[in-house]
This record gives sequence, structure tokens and C-alpha cells, in this order.
Amino acid sequence: MDCPTYRTVTTMASEVLAKPQMRGLLARRLRIHMVGAFLVSLGVAALYKFAVAEPRKKAYADFYKNYSPEKDFEEMKKAGIFRSIK
Amino acid sequence: MATPAQLGLQNATSPIMEELIAFHDHALMIIFLVSSLVLYTISLMLTTKLTHTSTMNAQEIETIWTILPALILITIALPSLRILYMTDEFNKPYLTLKAIGHQWYWSYEYSDYEDLYFDSYIMPTYFLEPGEFRLLEVDNRTTLPMEADIRMLITSQDVLHSWAVPSLGVKTDAIPGRLNQAMLASMRPGLFYGQCSEICGSNHSFMPIVLEFIYFQDFEVWAS
Repeated sequence: MDCPTYRTVTTMASEVLAKPQMRGLLARRLRIHMVGAFLVSLGVAALYKFAVAEPRKKAYADFYKNYSPEKDFEEMKKAGIFRSIK
Repeated sequence: MATPAQLGLQNATSPIMEELIAFHDHALMIIFLVSSLVLYTISLMLTTKLTHTSTMNAQEIETIWTILPALILITIALPSLRILYMTDEFNKPYLTLKAIGHQWYWSYEYSDYEDLYFDSYIMPTYFLEPGEFRLLEVDNRTTLPMEADIRMLITSQDVLHSWAVPSLGVKTDAIPGRLNQAMLASMRPGLFYGQCSEICGSNHSFMPIVLEFIYFQDFEVWAS
């Protein structure tokens, strides 16, 4: 006896769905992020250099620009920190 | 001297220490660069389900990650060697001072002057005056002239010690039977502290160094 067969018919729309990217996904991710990784690490290095290293060099230069060892010595002598000078 | 919870190096008092601090900043910048790169790479590997199981070779990246580290190492080595040779520069010293390590004190000999030598023991805590620093003060401080090149000859009478004053960028091993030379120069007057830096027995932590830098005229008066 013939059993009725049922099947679902999908009507295709006129536009075709684009075939998704199937291969090279990891390579693409690595390509993008390799650039990103280098940019981040160079950024961190630049941040340290310009936020810490250069200000420290400038601080030393500024300190010694108008530094007077004589004045410093007299102040320390007056404060009585030296044992060799009474 | 170091302040509580201090993380960085002490302020420089000598030109060599200034160079060392700048070099430390340079090396730390490179450390942060490499560490951030590695951390980024690790997080990248942990946040994907994508795999590539058929990698056979990768000549280009192998070349890059051989040459790049070599360049980084050269960037570190060049300033390092520059400072190393700078520390060995010998400028006609104004004064020679011998520092001899003992268990557990330092003795100093000013051979350029007659009869000037003394021992320098740690000041016990109960003898400290207000404002003095625990475990850092000594009974006889080492007085030196500021803005003058000083030659240090460091040795030991018994076991290994190390004469170190961080603010001046000096750390020289005191080895029995050997004289090690170091050059000192302070750009500022004041008191500068250091501690023995080579394990030498039970009281290794209790043999500090205190340098008192004063004007050379006052130094001549003191020395005579």
C-alpha cells in the first residue's frame, strides 16, 4: 500500500546567501592580533618611557640646575646632623 | 636610605648611580614590552576555539622571533657595557680609603693621613638618639669629602663581606686575601647609608655603613 510521503519544500528566495568564511579563520585572527599585540606592547613601553623614565631624568636635571651644595651643606650643618663637624 | 615600602632605587648621589637608574628604566621598559606581548599572546590563545592542527613549518615567523630577541638583547647590552666601562674609569683620586670587613663590623684606614683608622660597629638600638635609624647607625661614621674622586680599596679579614652603598651605586665584594678597587664620588653633602651585602654569619644584617660627606676643607680639619 502506498503510504503518503511527506516532505518539506523550502522555497528559495531570489538572492543567494553568501558562503560563509570556512577556512583560514585562525590565520586571519592571528594576522589581526599580531599587529595588535605589537602595538599594545610598544604602547606600554612608550607609556613607561614618557610617563616614568623621561620625567625622572628631567627631575634630576631640574634638581641640579639650581642646586647649591654650599647652601645644602650649611643647612645640614645647622641642623646638627654631622658628627665630624661641631 | 630606603624609606618604608619603597619599591624603586634610592635617589642617586653619584653620577654613576644616575646612569644606573636611567639604565634600569631602560631595561624595565623592555621588560614591560616583552611581558605585555607575552601576556597578550597568552590571552589570545585562551580566548579562541579555533585550531590549526596541520602546521608543518613557519619559516617567516621563526626568522622574526630569532632576529627580534637578538636586537632587543643588543639594545640592552650596549648601554650596559657603556656603564660597565664607565665604572672602571680611573680618575686621579683625591683620597684612598681602605674598608676592611670583619665579623661583624667594618674598619676603615685613611692611609693618606697619619694614624687615621677606626672600627665602625652598629649602634645598638638602646643607644640611638631620637631621629636616628634603627639597624643603620654606626658608632664611628666614615667621613669623606664631597665632590671629590675617592678610591676605595675593599678587602676582608675573615669571610666574604660586601661593601655596599646604594645611593652611590657601589657594591664591591670584600674578599679575604684580595683588594678590590671601587671609585666613589658624591655630588651632594649628607649622610648615606649602606649595609653588608654578602652573607657572613649570624650578624650579617648588623654591620651597616654610614658615609658622612662634608666639604673638603672641613674634611681636612677632621682628618688632621
